[in-house]
Amino acid sequence: MATLSLQHIDKIYDNNVQAVFDFNLDVKDGELIVLVGPSGCGKSTTLRMVAGLEDISEGKLLLDGKDITATPAKDRDMAMVFQNYALYGHMTIYENMAFSLTLRKENPNVIHKKVLAAAEILGLTSQLNKKPAQLSGGQRQRVAMGRSIVRNPKVFLFDEPLSNLDAKLRGATRREILLLHKRLKATMLYVTHDQTEALTLADRIVCMSMGHVQQVGTPLELYDDPANVFVASFIGLPPMNLYDVKVSGAELVGANFKVSLTAEEQAQLKAYQGKTIILGVRPENIIEGPDVKATVFSNENLGMNTLVHAYIGGDRKAKISAKLKGWSNYKAGDTVSFSFKRKHFFDKDTTNAIRKGE
Amino acid sequence: MNNEDRQIQRDRMRYTKNSLAANLALVGLLFDVFYFVNICQSDVGTYYYNILIGASIVYNLVFLLVVFLASEGVKNYQINYSYILIVVGALQIARIFIIPMRAHSATTLVDGVEVAVMGNGQFMWVLAFLVISAACLLASAAVNIIKCRELSAHLKSLGLES
Repeated sequence: MATLSLQHIDKIYDNNVQAVFDFNLDVKDGELIVLVGPSGCGKSTTLRMVAGLEDISEGKLLLDGKDITATPAKDRDMAMVFQNYALYGHMTIYENMAFSLTLRKENPNVIHKKVLAAAEILGLTSQLNKKPAQLSGGQRQRVAMGRSIVRNPKVFLFDEPLSNLDAKLRGATRREILLLHKRLKATMLYVTHDQTEALTLADRIVCMSMGHVQQVGTPLELYDDPANVFVASFIGLPPMNLYDVKVSGAELVGANFKVSLTAEEQAQLKAYQGKTIILGVRPENIIEGPDVKATVFSNENLGMNTLVHAYIGGDRKAKISAKLKGWSNYKAGDTVSFSFKRKHFFDKDTTNAIRKGE
Repeated sequence: MNNEDRQIQRDRMRYTKNSLAANLALVGLLFDVFYFVNICQSDVGTYYYNILIGASIVYNLVFLLVVFLASEGVKNYQINYSYILIVVGALQIARIFIIPMRAHSATTLVDGVEVAVMGNGQFMWVLAFLVISAACLLASAAVNIIKCRELSAHLKSLGLES
């Protein structure tokens, strides 16, 4: 397998639109990196530049320390799995999986061994004589992965491979990809807009917005310690509640509420006394308590949890979403009172996180 | 080729088409077309305007259909199509004695002059086309029979066929 290094990579199209700005990333051998972000953030463009399907406008791409910035796609020894599978409809699954090796004129017996081994890994042995149209979406995506596996590439690239699947199949195929990564110990770059995929699959996540890298870190780092407001609001479902608040002594004062700060939080916000900051609270860090009064407008029972949506102080501009444990039966118009277990703070001007000791 | 390679080669037949047999059958079909187009070149006078050529045209249409279907059959290792190809291949040999031999030895009057219907050169070409066509069809049948037996034995050894 391989290491991959993206150094100061920019993508500027012919019409001068810049899609990617100064992208830097070192991918370790056997690491699964997930590029996540909303549509149009440049994640697929970055992946296509790595694959060689798009030119790199500025910067360097190194594979195992060797500069491959100008190397054609076919010589990069990378395999890409696409959202739409890109299988040949007139060929059987066996022929589809063997195709790239047949083009390379490899020994048919060697091809046979590789295809059977890949089919075994992916549970496709009984499907090898079928045509793609006879398979389900999940099976087709597995064939696309099998086609990559037989090539034994240095790097696997996945471009939203689960987007065409229904929710149930997506979950199952996601687990298969994870098992595949553990089994192959391959270097993988995976693009998705789905944060669940990112959090469950990644060794490290690269969160992107508007062509810029917002944060690189483990799933826990991105969830627990987001670098800025964008990451905080993008990672987590339902998204983090964000409010403008003023730091006033040992309290945070919002438009319709006040919450007290612990000694540790006060120390963290020492430099922001009297200033307005952004307070972030994850719905799962909200419990029923005395601090913030709100008027319920929606109650969604999810089984183990209840998602309560309310207006703080009845103000329609100040929404709060709380994920409460157990089954609650609030009705629209009910008054509920919340406390915050864990708070995140962001600078109002830069939107960057205010961390301890800063 | 060692034992393992032979084993893999047999196993490959489970997932790959018998394209050699199928292509041989199609080449046999192609040479039949060459034959049929070629005999018309030797049309002098009205020699060919008889019931025999009418029957030959009909047979040719049936031949094209049967050989094409058989080529698809042998492609999927269906042994019965081999027997059809053997019959059709044998008939290609028999066809040499129906039109080409007769035309080769026949003469016809053109403007009061007696001329040979099919010259030696023409006859050799027609003969070659039919012989090659027959050889391809028989070879296709033979290849398919051998491969079908190999595949069947291999599937039995894997416990996939009773």
